[in-house]
Amino acid sequence: MQPFGANRILWRVLALAAVPLLVVFLPKAFNDYFNYRLAFVGIYFIAIVGLNVLTGYNGQISLGHGAFMAIGAYTTAILNVNYGVGVYWTIPIAGILTGAFGFLFGFPALRLSGVYLALATFGLATSIPLVAKRFEGFTGGGQGKTIALPSSPIGGLSTNEWLSYLTWAVAGLMFGLAWFLLRGSLGRAFRAVRDAPIAAVSSGVSLARYKTLAFGIAAAYAGVAGALLAIAIAFVNPDTFPVSLSILLLTGAVVGGLGSLEGMLFGAVFIQFAPGWADHLSKHLHYNEATVQSTVFYGLILLAVLFLMPTGAAGLFHQLGSALKRLREWLYSRADSRATA
Amino acid sequence: MTQFFQYIVVGLANGGVYATLALALVLIHRATGIVNFAQGEMGMFCTFIAWALITHHGVPYWTAFFLTLLIAFVGGAATYKVVIQPLSRTGELTVVMATIALLIILNGLAGWIWSPEVKFLRSPLFAPGDYFDIGGVIVNKQDLGVIGISLVCVAIVFVFFRFTRLGLQMRASAVGPATSRLLGIRVAMMLSIGWGLAAVLSAVSGMMAASRLELDPNFMLIILTYAFAAAVLGGIDSPVGSVVGAFIIGIGISLLSGYASSFLGTELQLPLALAVLMLVLIVRPAGLFGHVVVRRV
Amino acid sequence: MRRVVFALGVVAIGAAVLLPGAMGGSAATPGVTSKIVTIGGTFPFSGPASSYAPIPVGMQAYFSYVNAKKTNGKRGVFGRQIKFNAVDDGYNPALTVQKTKQLVEQDHVFALVGGLGTEPQEAVTAYANQQKVPQIYVSTGATEWGARDKHASHPWTIGWQPDYQAEGAIYGRYIVKNLPSAKIGIIYQNDSYGRDYIDGLSSGLGSHKSQIVSQQGFEVTDTSVTNQVIALRRAGVDTLMIFGTPTPTIRTYATMAAVGWKPQNIFLNSVSATDAFMSIAVARAGAAEVNGSISTYYTKDPANPSWSNDAGMKLYKSIMAKYAPSNARATDGLYIYGMAKAYTFVQALKAAGPNPTRAGLMKAVLNMNDKSNPFLLPGVVTKTGKTDFFPISQQQLIRFNNGSWSPMGQITDTRPRG
Repeated sequence: MQPFGANRILWRVLALAAVPLLVVFLPKAFNDYFNYRLAFVGIYFIAIVGLNVLTGYNGQISLGHGAFMAIGAYTTAILNVNYGVGVYWTIPIAGILTGAFGFLFGFPALRLSGVYLALATFGLATSIPLVAKRFEGFTGGGQGKTIALPSSPIGGLSTNEWLSYLTWAVAGLMFGLAWFLLRGSLGRAFRAVRDAPIAAVSSGVSLARYKTLAFGIAAAYAGVAGALLAIAIAFVNPDTFPVSLSILLLTGAVVGGLGSLEGMLFGAVFIQFAPGWADHLSKHLHYNEATVQSTVFYGLILLAVLFLMPTGAAGLFHQLGSALKRLREWLYSRADSRATA
Repeated sequence: MTQFFQYIVVGLANGGVYATLALALVLIHRATGIVNFAQGEMGMFCTFIAWALITHHGVPYWTAFFLTLLIAFVGGAATYKVVIQPLSRTGELTVVMATIALLIILNGLAGWIWSPEVKFLRSPLFAPGDYFDIGGVIVNKQDLGVIGISLVCVAIVFVFFRFTRLGLQMRASAVGPATSRLLGIRVAMMLSIGWGLAAVLSAVSGMMAASRLELDPNFMLIILTYAFAAAVLGGIDSPVGSVVGAFIIGIGISLLSGYASSFLGTELQLPLALAVLMLVLIVRPAGLFGHVVVRRV
Repeated sequence: MRRVVFALGVVAIGAAVLLPGAMGGSAATPGVTSKIVTIGGTFPFSGPASSYAPIPVGMQAYFSYVNAKKTNGKRGVFGRQIKFNAVDDGYNPALTVQKTKQLVEQDHVFALVGGLGTEPQEAVTAYANQQKVPQIYVSTGATEWGARDKHASHPWTIGWQPDYQAEGAIYGRYIVKNLPSAKIGIIYQNDSYGRDYIDGLSSGLGSHKSQIVSQQGFEVTDTSVTNQVIALRRAGVDTLMIFGTPTPTIRTYATMAAVGWKPQNIFLNSVSATDAFMSIAVARAGAAEVNGSISTYYTKDPANPSWSNDAGMKLYKSIMAKYAPSNARATDGLYIYGMAKAYTFVQALKAAGPNPTRAGLMKAVLNMNDKSNPFLLPGVVTKTGKTDFFPISQQQLIRFNNGSWSPMGQITDTRPRG
């Protein structure tokens, strides 16, 4: 029989190694701008990995992830514009600051669950842009802050390439960190809190500690993603982080498959490219792109994805994998029985 | 003092608009256990249908009103059958995401069919300037109508669930679907009816809101935010709670905007209201009228 | 098998992603080939500002007309068809940046024309100037787009319409001259839009600024302005300025009617004063509440029958009938705004000559003196110069009565001196 355990890890590593290759070589088939789109895929990927930790692994629903991205982005903007901190240094700072904020938010959130938590996080998503608008002296108010346009410090790399590689390098790091954190006792504790809180408490798993920690981690990831977003766009203001961003991130996490970190790759690709697919569908059916028809098609595409892949892309791959495995076993058993005959 | 009462009256009127939509959210949650994020857009879509009937086809207001309610019921029940029921096996978050997809579709569809330009749906009952002046406090007759309709709606829902056989069957289906089936209740049909009724309530909410706000595809989105907050504040499974919650939120925001706007500024009213709401929820995690589930091990 | 499965996924993504494809000309001047000039712009087709979507529709209708019309035996401008890529940014600056980069780097547009929204266009100004792509005739009246210092640092960027501060100043000067003892109240949208108007009003009032007795702000997300209206009434306001986008403006009228208040004088900002919005305001608040309101305009009003025999209006209506989508309401002033802007662009493109370059286009844009725009009021000149970066600076005060606007007095010029 095949040593499936070792093989699985090998295939996973191979599959993940494909990502940097795609990031570097896929744009060569199109144009330089495609790098910029990939940078956004990377940014969304980091954000929804964090969301996955909170909602997929820890079972706490969050409709406010965009608010954490906003905090990260504003941290970068304020540190850079007001205090002259180099933008790239602000990335870890944004992560830590936003993580701390998320951790603190986790405390009052302890008492809430399900729809009540959903409302609280929705309230966060609604409030953060308004708060940013209020404290104008600090945040630039409605006008926001303009950061210097990004430029590649490495000769031979275009700005778009630099942004893409930077984002994916950070994404790789964050992904590895999440994988490492989740495979050990932390991951088990998170899942215990999600699936059987009472049993968890009886086993000595502190609900408070792990639930707030999950919020902190998720927020930190969103903060890093927000910082990268600020660098890529070179502008932040309240309109940049509407409630629809939080909904978009949740969409990405669900489409990717909650509970699967690799699935988030597909989630990120979906939320970055699906509106474009909708535009093209719209054009193909002889409507203008960039109109209400395109919005309808996007909603229909999303609905179709939910019907076809209710457990997300990761779920689909698992099912395909199991189906293929069963096929392989059946083939082997046929071979075996023929051999012994 | 007049000022205070004026703020209360304004708040009650605003709350009346949120109340009916909050009631719809509660209905859906009691029936299928999820928040239907498309509730506001369903109401918006039905309001557009009413507008089209009145403006393009010359249907008189009340005929259009009740026709729209009928269409809403059918549409809501169909939505459950076609979209929600097939997905309900796969997990709560997938269903919630499906309601978000519906939100997007309905929002775009309304703009597609009727164009996103602002429109006007005239109110049938009172002329614009019709009001009572009670000791310096202006009470607009239209606002009274809105408050009245929301109270009537909650009364109907309450009586329906408490005292009718169908209501009992619906409650049973939501709480214990397996047992209900054993007792011969057609659970799937009950849930469809629940969604249909919720759609009717959102249509009422939309038509009332259109008489105070302006009719465009996005106008119910902010109402949904307030209605969501109201439903949760009142206890997501309590119809009475959601209406009380709506009035509390309406009054709260009105008082905030009246008294605190000079130092709060306009931006912080909503965040502050939501923060207060969160505090209330921390103290009473199941909302004002909700039931805390106590699990003994 | 997971490898196979993953590979399938990659292929699927690749195929899906290949759909958009890579476009763009590789001509010497980006966006210009012998047959086509490609321009682009970001507009809020979806999201909170989607009521402005008629603007690019009006622009496109005019371009379609020009593309079909023969001049010197050739269609279009110097034989080139104008291809207008209007894309949706939902009024979200993050999307504006992405879509603008896409227009420049993937679609290789010749110029960005008419992009809508103050903050969205601010987000891409540095980029457009870095790339030396014309960012012209942005659809916002924020004063910054014509300010001299801004132009010096961003020479590729310019606005088009009369700016909000200039409009506010016109109201201010009118009040000083005709309503010297007015008690002024302002209800305003709490963002740069509303505040630009207030700044303009204050500068127009000069020393009479102290006559402002109450300022009440609101957020676009508020569902009611009743408290603001009641506060204004309590302050004894008899001259009300409404500085907000269309929906809250309508709501203000409705609320005033609902509480039975009619200040003697009402001024409302021109953006909210088009026929579409006024008719809803009248329906909701009653004609009595709305009659007598004062505003300004600078384009011809397609809802006013007195223009029916005007050649420019006839041209507008025929273009709308032939080239605009069938559900477009031609009486909505946003369409004629778009068409007037498209006209200005085509003039600039013609002035850039048969072999236009981006620099040549900017030169034409910054040295314009055009009196021929059929969609602007007679006498309104589209003019720019060495120190004048406001293409249109003239407006006409107008008063609303019984369903339509009529002019008051002469056209006012707010063009900066020198």
